[in-house]
Amino acid sequence: MSEPAARPSRWGEEQRLHERALLDEFARLDHTDPRRASIRDEIVTMHLPLVQHLARRYRDRGEPLEDLVQVGTIGLIKAVDRFDPERGTELSTFATPTILGEIKRHFRDRAWAVRVPRRLQELQAQVVSRTDELTRTLHRAPTVRELAESLGVGEEDVLDALEARHAYATASIDAGGDAEERAAAPVVRSLGIDDPSFGAIEDRESLRPLLEALPERERTIIVLRFFRHMSQTQIAEELGISQMHVSRLLARTLAQLREGMTAD
Amino acid sequence: MSGTVTLTFPAQTGNVALARTLAAAMSARADLPLDQLEDVRLAVDEAVSQLIIDAAPGSDIACAFTLMGDALDIVVSGTSTSGRTPDADTFSWTVMSALVDTVTARVDAGVVSLRLFVTRHAPVDA
Repeated sequence: MSEPAARPSRWGEEQRLHERALLDEFARLDHTDPRRASIRDEIVTMHLPLVQHLARRYRDRGEPLEDLVQVGTIGLIKAVDRFDPERGTELSTFATPTILGEIKRHFRDRAWAVRVPRRLQELQAQVVSRTDELTRTLHRAPTVRELAESLGVGEEDVLDALEARHAYATASIDAGGDAEERAAAPVVRSLGIDDPSFGAIEDRESLRPLLEALPERERTIIVLRFFRHMSQTQIAEELGISQMHVSRLLARTLAQLREGMTAD
Repeated sequence: MSGTVTLTFPAQTGNVALARTLAAAMSARADLPLDQLEDVRLAVDEAVSQLIIDAAPGSDIACAFTLMGDALDIVVSGTSTSGRTPDADTFSWTVMSALVDTVTARVDAGVVSLRLFVTRHAPVDA
């Protein structure tokens, strides 16, 4: 599919010849030649009005025009790199589908990254804060039903929010944690791992080196939950973080320990 | 409410999430407080992961969840290579025991079953 009105009409014959000369030189130069960059910049700058023209078609769809111009320019640069002047087509005609492709891809990416999870992100934040509130008034953690009633949403929605939170926690292991994690001050009182209750299991499974390798807060949570038998809610109070955060750290740390113990 | 909900899937680590999701949903039906719900999710994760480590090639893992009033009875089973139940002095067993009320294991014709039983700790207004 070719797009009409691709080349700005105000271009005169002189500019057209200049563009042709630039494109010929760009195609001739070796890919390592430092002059290529400045020639490409000039070609791209000449065609920016085309990118702006195409981006304006999508300006009423909720994305800032400058973002659309930016991704469209990426499409233009790709087209310049791939353009072959020998083919006899105009660069503007050749570049238009690539520019539109980048703009459309931007909308697809945004739809996935922002629109769908945002509802869950907001619900997650509400579930976290409401859990803390209800825990204070009930003197125990709330149930899914109580959270759903309190927030005026379905129980399935609460479960989805919990699930998404775990999915995100897993995904963020390599990314080094999220905002809540960074915000939580590591005020962890020192807990020795010379707990006598480790004795029975440590020799066979080399658990001790794995525990020693854990960050202090993760190690503390493991000790409190599995060897001191404190509940997630009690640990959350003790460490000054949310119970959901405790559960995410537990899930993540157990997975790491399991991996460490089975990887021989 | 009564009745048993079962889930069967190939013994591959990529499928553990299915069991975790069902564990959370069934815990919600048992009206477990959120911290207990998350404990059950972790316990099922641990049980399924342990059975997968020892699973016979090409075998399945089955999870059966039965609601019993304010209790949840969970049986995770699979055909094992070793034909042995997990030892009670492992970290894995310590973890599962801390997360639910009782853990029991049995083996029957090469099929290892881990039974996790959990009751709601704090009273919840109906």
